[in-house]
Amino acid sequence: MKIIVCVKQVPSSNEVRLDPVRKTIIRDSSEAVINPFDVTAAEAAVQIREKLGGTVTALSMGIPASERLLRDEIARGADNAVLLTDRAFAGADTLATSYTLSKAIEDLGGADLILCGKMATDGDTAQIGPELASWLNLPCVTDVSALLEVTEKQIICRRNTDAGAETVNVSLPAVLTIVKNLTTPRLPSIEGIRRSLKADLKILDAKGLGADPARIGLDGSPTQVIRTFPQQEKGEAVPFEKSEAASEVKKLWEEL
Amino acid sequence: MGLIIDKNTCVLCGGCVASCPNGALEITDEIILDEEKCILCGACADSCPVGAISIEKEKKEAQEAGGGIWIAVQQSEGKPLPVALELLGKGRELADTLGCRLTAICPGKSSSFARELIEAGADAVLFLLSDRIGDTDDNAYAHALVPLIRERRPEIVLFGATILGRSAAPAIAAKLGTGLTADCTALSIEPDSRLLAQTRPALGGNLMATIVCPDSRPQMATVRPGIFPCPEPDPARTGTVETILPEGLPKGLITILSQENKSDASGIADADILLVAGRGIGSSKNLKKVFRLAELMKAEVGVSRPLIDMGWAEYPHQVGQTGATVAPKLLISLGVSGAIQHLAGIGGAQTVVAVNTDADAPIMRHADYVVKMDCVEFVEQLTELLQAK
Amino acid sequence: MNDLILTADRIGAEYLRDESRSTGTAQFAVFAKSCEDVRTALRFAEENDLPVTIQGGRTGLAGAAVPDGGLILTLSGMDRLTGMAYENGKYILFAEPGVVLLELRKQISTRKIDTSGWSEESRQVFSRFFTDKEQFFPTDPTETSATLGGMTACNASGARSFRYGAMRGHVGGLKMILADGRTVKIRRGECFAKGLSACLPCEDGSSVEFKLPSYKMPDVKNASGYYSAPDMDLIDLLIGSDGTLGVITELQLILEPLPEAIWGASFLFEKEKNALTFVNLVRSEKSVVSLEYFDAGALEILREQKAAGSAFASLPEVPECIQSIVYAELHCTDEETALERLLLLGGLAEKAGGSEKDTWVARNTGDLDGLMFFRHAVPESTNMKIDALRKKEPSLTKMGSDMSVPDDKLFEVMDLYRNGIEKLGLRSAIWGHIGNNHLHVNLLPSSAEDAARVKEMFLSWAAKVTQMGGAVSAEHGVGKLKASFLEIMYGPEHIEEMRAVKRAFDPAWRLGNGNLFSKEGGVK
Repeated sequence: MKIIVCVKQVPSSNEVRLDPVRKTIIRDSSEAVINPFDVTAAEAAVQIREKLGGTVTALSMGIPASERLLRDEIARGADNAVLLTDRAFAGADTLATSYTLSKAIEDLGGADLILCGKMATDGDTAQIGPELASWLNLPCVTDVSALLEVTEKQIICRRNTDAGAETVNVSLPAVLTIVKNLTTPRLPSIEGIRRSLKADLKILDAKGLGADPARIGLDGSPTQVIRTFPQQEKGEAVPFEKSEAASEVKKLWEEL
Repeated sequence: MGLIIDKNTCVLCGGCVASCPNGALEITDEIILDEEKCILCGACADSCPVGAISIEKEKKEAQEAGGGIWIAVQQSEGKPLPVALELLGKGRELADTLGCRLTAICPGKSSSFARELIEAGADAVLFLLSDRIGDTDDNAYAHALVPLIRERRPEIVLFGATILGRSAAPAIAAKLGTGLTADCTALSIEPDSRLLAQTRPALGGNLMATIVCPDSRPQMATVRPGIFPCPEPDPARTGTVETILPEGLPKGLITILSQENKSDASGIADADILLVAGRGIGSSKNLKKVFRLAELMKAEVGVSRPLIDMGWAEYPHQVGQTGATVAPKLLISLGVSGAIQHLAGIGGAQTVVAVNTDADAPIMRHADYVVKMDCVEFVEQLTELLQAK
Repeated sequence: MNDLILTADRIGAEYLRDESRSTGTAQFAVFAKSCEDVRTALRFAEENDLPVTIQGGRTGLAGAAVPDGGLILTLSGMDRLTGMAYENGKYILFAEPGVVLLELRKQISTRKIDTSGWSEESRQVFSRFFTDKEQFFPTDPTETSATLGGMTACNASGARSFRYGAMRGHVGGLKMILADGRTVKIRRGECFAKGLSACLPCEDGSSVEFKLPSYKMPDVKNASGYYSAPDMDLIDLLIGSDGTLGVITELQLILEPLPEAIWGASFLFEKEKNALTFVNLVRSEKSVVSLEYFDAGALEILREQKAAGSAFASLPEVPECIQSIVYAELHCTDEETALERLLLLGGLAEKAGGSEKDTWVARNTGDLDGLMFFRHAVPESTNMKIDALRKKEPSLTKMGSDMSVPDDKLFEVMDLYRNGIEKLGLRSAIWGHIGNNHLHVNLLPSSAEDAARVKEMFLSWAAKVTQMGGAVSAEHGVGKLKASFLEIMYGPEHIEEMRAVKRAFDPAWRLGNGNLFSKEGGVK
């Protein structure tokens, strides 16, 4: 089975600090890691390959330095990796990103299965998976929490829903988005790290993809951030009087 | 185009350097941008005190849209989900600001709740009625909506940020080639541009970002449930009702084999309401009272580690660093002092009520509401109150 | 009576015990918020002739914080960071003794420190610290809810002590209130013994004069008894004094710059012998800051807890054929170096009979947390087993050894442990800081008789370990539970010398009664 896993580079910490003098946000350029949801998705892909054979390709759009993380994904079991990197991709929102990824998947000759982490820890949008499926005209199952039966033709999986959970059967090819507790990702071994250092990594730019310049990067992104500001700290706690505590808490409960 | 630094305005304060998550900026005699590292995220532009940095993009004409505001309603067992009513309340406010119509659009199996939607603020209710659109079927939901949005061109479409909303809305946005903002917690209309300002938490809630969609239409957002109040129903309101039977829904690629409700899969890690008992509960007999209260509140019970050590409760109930990490909407902490390992496990709780006789207990500094009293007495009072109901 | 003094009925049961699971009694308790509260408590104790037991986070494993009647003096409410200095290229953080390690780490790494009430100089240092490279405090006991005061009192160490040394080296100064209310303020490098004669000045101009014990401390990781060496810096005596000489009320913690690359790697072995060989091969590798060990018994308990679900369900699967795991943490100046060193370790593992395939490498904080969780889960899952046993037999306590030996005795001491465990026929789990040849041998007795046999065995080990040139308590401190080992290690004359030091500081024998040694000759 040919599996493509979409992975994203994110900062390992979401901490922001407020400069006490300038009152501006300080983002310590903390270490870059692969989005933990994507690491789980990649682990799921490797487990499928171990059962059914085939290849696992890690695909990422990012800055050139993301190469290091794609190699890490190879150390964790992916067979090869593709990095989409071009100044023209910068400033992409989820629509432009999913378009770019879809062009790369077409360029790679499609896949039997495309796995994405449910969301990225820096953006929390959870939009790439369904948008990607839309561009590729493939069925999409989001919030997958267990893979129950995987064959070359179809997957039976369990997914979270608003009501609880459901088990669905989806024909391949398809896009699945994976929640973090689907499986525990393995750590790379030293042997895997040695392999990843030697592995070939494919690097593609916008031209190489044949992407429509109007649909990528800043120009291909309909949304625009107009301001950011730090979340307000938790304020002083509200005290309840002993005599009214029970009824006040009952109110809080009823408001849920 | 791209990142523009006005070197004449720049005062070399270094704020942008500190704000950049990728370390792409450096100050020597002037600001230097390493384009290989820049992802045009805009953090530097925001941090600049003198407005010397901006991200410029080509201006386009806004697409035409005259169809007003749409609220995409999600059904559950023939009823609208509460978030739909919350959005109608907020949508009403936005529609009044813009002077446009507010339409509730309801893909699904039922068309029986028009009145409720109108009383919550809708001018028009549009049912997309089909047995093929199950309550959790995001693919069918999206397929039903796309042609209608293309045809009637709403200016804004809002979805609840439920599991279905967050999976159907992006599928729709990509088909329409428009922008979508995920999981918003505030919405307003920008005074000058009359654009929908969509504010959402980013970076795990450490930062808030306000986002607009200047030229593509519709402007789309998913909105977190429980943020906006449910409007009081106004029986005097009137509105139109229309039912459409959607055609051409795809079939066969995804089949639902079985479904289960949330109550089947319980556990303190997933609980919406959690009572957590600590040493202050005093005895295992009193802990039983907590379980009784939990039944009444449809809550789960967690305990702090000492209670496990004393054998009053089993390990799956332990909350904290070495137990379960929990993220309930409401956490009522009963006689827990709040050791640091415990606090590490409850960081995800939305609202924390702490009941403790010790006003200085660490838990009291991590709560939204504090009650200084004996927690057993509190449990008894609340139980009595709920039983009287 | 003073509001500060709580009577027995208002003392929670948790204050009568510590992580060793042993329990004591107390008539009064004081939850001090300030030095003044500490003095009030000591005055009350003097007036009523009460023994005083000092407590921090009560995470100790030797019972030092378990009260022996009298008054409990809990310092966990003195939990502020009170200032900062910058000296010789290092940041020095001033902390009250009740600051919890986890909280300290968080505040250092996020640099969100409450500086209200700080001096102008401190604030200036803080603004430099705020924009400087990230710093860290190297001492890392497994239990992160330990307080800094407790860590100082027992000279705590942790995994990274293999390279960074124990707590002692990271305390640049401290303030101690003696039993009679006098204050000693001492900074490293300012007050030395002359030979074994010592004179420690107090703030009021008086001084404590005493003679240091004449024993030669073993050249291994050691937290057994008072630190003593000719011409020593006297601060080193106060660190590790197990709550017997005075109440520590302020600490000066020396921070270190955080290394660029912090990586971890677990090496899985099918034979314990191969794991020990590997340890001997990597010991001299400078980038390795910790070397930890988990034996077959520990892995078995972990597998059981993992299978039982709960919080440990997410632990990585350890194949059945694996008998031993060695965890190494690397601190390097950059990632290139770290990679080079890691590959070198891989080669050494193969040389020792392991395989590069059987390794888990963590190259980012998330993955490191995973390996750390694994490390933490080992003692935690064993504790859960012990708690289950205690339900049937409440008198049982955690039975773990804490001895260290010189490098060339690693195989020998492991033989000693294995033979002893086999003879007893009890379930066991061995883990710990193998880089320092410092292993915790834990036994799971199911009856009081079993427990007595384990105690006897530990005593015989103490004698043999001493013969090997080792220490009977390498990191937990001696407290009350290991006082009998101390006598074996040093002999009665040297214990008497320690008593003399104690008497010089605390003639009324007020503080830490039962810790290290009993008041009268003979072991309690």
